[in-house]
Amino acid sequence: MTQHGSKALAEFVAEATEILDALGRDLLALDEARDQEADPERINGIFRAAHSLKGLSGLFGQERITQLAHAAEDLLDRLRLGRLTLDDQVLDALVDALDTFQSLLGETSRGEEGEDLTRRTRAMEERLARMGSPAPPAEEDPLERLELDAQVRAVFTEYEEHRLRENVRRGVALWRVRAAFDLTDFDQGLADLNARLKPLGEVISTLPSSRPGGATGIAFDLIFGAKVTAPELEAGLQGTPAELAPLTVHPSREDPSATDEAASVPPPEAVGPGPGVTPRTKRGGKKKGTRARPLALEAGPSQPLLPADTGATGRDAPSETSSGAPGLVAVPTAANGGPPRMRAVGGPPSTALGLQSAASAPLPAGRPRPEETSLRSLTQTVRVDIGRLDGLINMVGELLLIKANLQRLAEASRQDGTVALSKLFGQELSRETRQLERKLEALQEGLLEARMVPVGQVFDKLARLVRRIAREAGKEIDFVSTGGEVELDKLIVEELSDPLMHLIRNAIDHGAEGPEARLSEGKPRRAVVRLRAEQKGNHVLISVSDDGSGIDEARVREVALSRGLVTSSQVSEMTRRELLNLIFLPGFSTRSSVSALSGRGVGLDVVKNNLGNLSGIIDVWSERGKGTAFHLTLPVTLAIVRALVVGVSGRTYAVPLNSVLEILAVQPHDIRTVERREVLDLRGQTLPFLRLGRLFHLPEREVNRHFVVVVGLAQQRLGIAVDELFGQQDIVTKPLGGRLSGVKGISGATDLGNRRTVLVLDVAELLEEGIAQERRRA
Amino acid sequence: MSRFEALLDAFFYRPDEDVSGLLDFAVGSDGLAPRVLEEEPTEYLAFRLETECYAVPILTVREICKVPLLTEIPRAEPQLLGVMNLRGELLPVYDVKLRLRLSEVPPLVAGPDAGLPPKAARILVLKTQDGPAGVWVDSVAGVVRLKPSMVELSPAGLRGDRDCVAGLGRKGSQLYILLDPEQALAP
Repeated sequence: MTQHGSKALAEFVAEATEILDALGRDLLALDEARDQEADPERINGIFRAAHSLKGLSGLFGQERITQLAHAAEDLLDRLRLGRLTLDDQVLDALVDALDTFQSLLGETSRGEEGEDLTRRTRAMEERLARMGSPAPPAEEDPLERLELDAQVRAVFTEYEEHRLRENVRRGVALWRVRAAFDLTDFDQGLADLNARLKPLGEVISTLPSSRPGGATGIAFDLIFGAKVTAPELEAGLQGTPAELAPLTVHPSREDPSATDEAASVPPPEAVGPGPGVTPRTKRGGKKKGTRARPLALEAGPSQPLLPADTGATGRDAPSETSSGAPGLVAVPTAANGGPPRMRAVGGPPSTALGLQSAASAPLPAGRPRPEETSLRSLTQTVRVDIGRLDGLINMVGELLLIKANLQRLAEASRQDGTVALSKLFGQELSRETRQLERKLEALQEGLLEARMVPVGQVFDKLARLVRRIAREAGKEIDFVSTGGEVELDKLIVEELSDPLMHLIRNAIDHGAEGPEARLSEGKPRRAVVRLRAEQKGNHVLISVSDDGSGIDEARVREVALSRGLVTSSQVSEMTRRELLNLIFLPGFSTRSSVSALSGRGVGLDVVKNNLGNLSGIIDVWSERGKGTAFHLTLPVTLAIVRALVVGVSGRTYAVPLNSVLEILAVQPHDIRTVERREVLDLRGQTLPFLRLGRLFHLPEREVNRHFVVVVGLAQQRLGIAVDELFGQQDIVTKPLGGRLSGVKGISGATDLGNRRTVLVLDVAELLEEGIAQERRRA
Repeated sequence: MSRFEALLDAFFYRPDEDVSGLLDFAVGSDGLAPRVLEEEPTEYLAFRLETECYAVPILTVREICKVPLLTEIPRAEPQLLGVMNLRGELLPVYDVKLRLRLSEVPPLVAGPDAGLPPKAARILVLKTQDGPAGVWVDSVAGVVRLKPSMVELSPAGLRGDRDCVAGLGRKGSQLYILLDPEQALAP
């Protein structure tokens, strides 16, 4: 692929990822509010996202994505027009479609086009097309109860008509807001009015008013569904040119009181909008007749109440409008293609399925089990607020000024080379360098900030995953995530997604019990899985917890023994905490039945290693019957860290300061041996002791005292003996990368400014080795 | 070899002999010349390790640099001499003499006890599948153009535990041992 082509592709992937993220968030919100009525604005948002994805992928010639986006858009269009109810099946299909999109985008970014995925995409498209159940039966077309000019109704788009119908059905107070603006600034005035109206309810339609707005003016009629009372609405529109007029809605025919009244009071002929109370029955009665006719033709008397809503979208629409408003023939625009779609509609009736019942429902045939996909982003881009960038540019500008000053000083000193430099000159020079230092620090800080992204980015993706895992595992799970706003380096957030995914899988698969088991133990039916992030100083603490059965340490001991991971004498001395930590050993898995989700025995040790690569550590807490929690401690950034520079046998190493707890000076006779391993006595506690020179097989030098750098992560402590301390410095760690990734105990290298490469110690790995030695010798 | 035999030997054309001038001169005089010219020579970078002359395809060489300060990696494999910082890029530097059995022990070139590197020594930065890697060479000899006919594939396992010799190139009396960088640097 050409340079240009790959750049364009990267842009496409970045933009499509963003759309999918937004789509995912909206779907998640819909999912959380399963039992409630879906927010029309949200469905509209998803529809627009699918539409933009279609456009975008079409532009880049991504045929498969375009096709699927088209199918999804089609389905969403039916949804937002109310031809389809948002039931669990539809929602599941949409979530699965999102997964497919993600896989497609993954292949696109790698420049592949796999046969499997193409087939899956086809199947998905068909599934979306087949999708659909008739909207819940409504007793009559609520729109018929609304007093509205036929001409006005004629110009509604299908979507507007649908929204209006919904509002009438729910008994929302409808208003016509008429406002006249001057032609010169009507767009602004209208936007202003809309902004005012938005919090008060829903603007259903904006139409040019029939009333002339004067020679230089234009008037609009806004059909508005108010959530607030009339006085509140009036107060809210104070100061705008809006005039309010209520739209009359007749009570539903099925309303018993209304029916009684209708039977007793002969209705007057009243059509058209206007204030005042118009008795209701005439139109209602007429309506009954209207409805009965097509129904009798279609469904027969056995089904007297076919949903009027459904009818309006299909072939009923013309007949209904023509009879309801004589002389009106205009069919709303989007009705084209309605009838064929109507035939496709015919799925099972909607049922209220929870996660649990959805789980028991078989997955649609033809869809392969979703493969293990990584949650990592496909792009390496970070969105940066333009304000932050401006700040950085300003700083660079100031640095240039300082550079100019320094240049001037250098020039001056060159010219008066032979003359002794004045004291004033020295002062000026040191002032400039101080300035330079300050600005560089600010620049560094600003750049680090630009790398920060909220962990919520990953939490959102995980929330979607929970839904799928719970369904596959047949568990009822409530997923609660907090602290999504905590910011971490983009790199860390990316690397974090897979370990977190694994922990959550474990929590659902191993931790949470099935609903029946929970009920019998007196717990609520639904298990809770929590994901929490909080900032603690230089670190971010992330925890994944569940309120499930907890870890059985007796089983852990048994398994560890049977797999030969530990010996029985070791186990007998272990505390409960140490026993629990055995689950991080490679090749450990307690589940006797291996499930598809986890339990392949490559779980937690991989998680632990991944975290180690991020200079993070993992700790476990668990109580029988109460639950399990994994605590992850991570540095905020890896880009620039403060490090302690130490010397061993003439070599220099850097130790990240965020894991250094304290530094001790130790005489050789302070070192004791316990069962032939060296330890230190630190304020009454035994501290494992590691000579770095010995560990690294360096020639040992005789020293009369050691410096011991006490490092710690979570509860683990280790004293690392070095020969010299050189001080602290900010370092930028470069990973050893590809060929050297297997090197143990070293996380990367850095340059201390003297062009000499210095290795950075990997404290997590050294701790691991120190503890492992301890375990081996114990 | 008698003087007559030497003359006779010089009279006969050998495939690795550079006779392009003669061929240019003879163009069109017979049907042989164009066919020989079609054979595209490949450029190799030749360098010395101990006393032997080696070569790698020049397209695998990213750059050649003088030996900078090397930082040793503790507990690394013996052929890894250390890492170097090349304009901010961190590169591993390897010794291939061990694998080629040209020496028994890795040279002490990194760390505080290392002396100054020999003046002629260079680091070749090679492009490999696992990213760039530096290779210590005792000196760089230059670029040679070898036609396929001048290269004979070496019998498998010529030397070393791995087949890191791709073949032998012969130009005039000079023998070039063609090194396969991927194999020579494989862990």
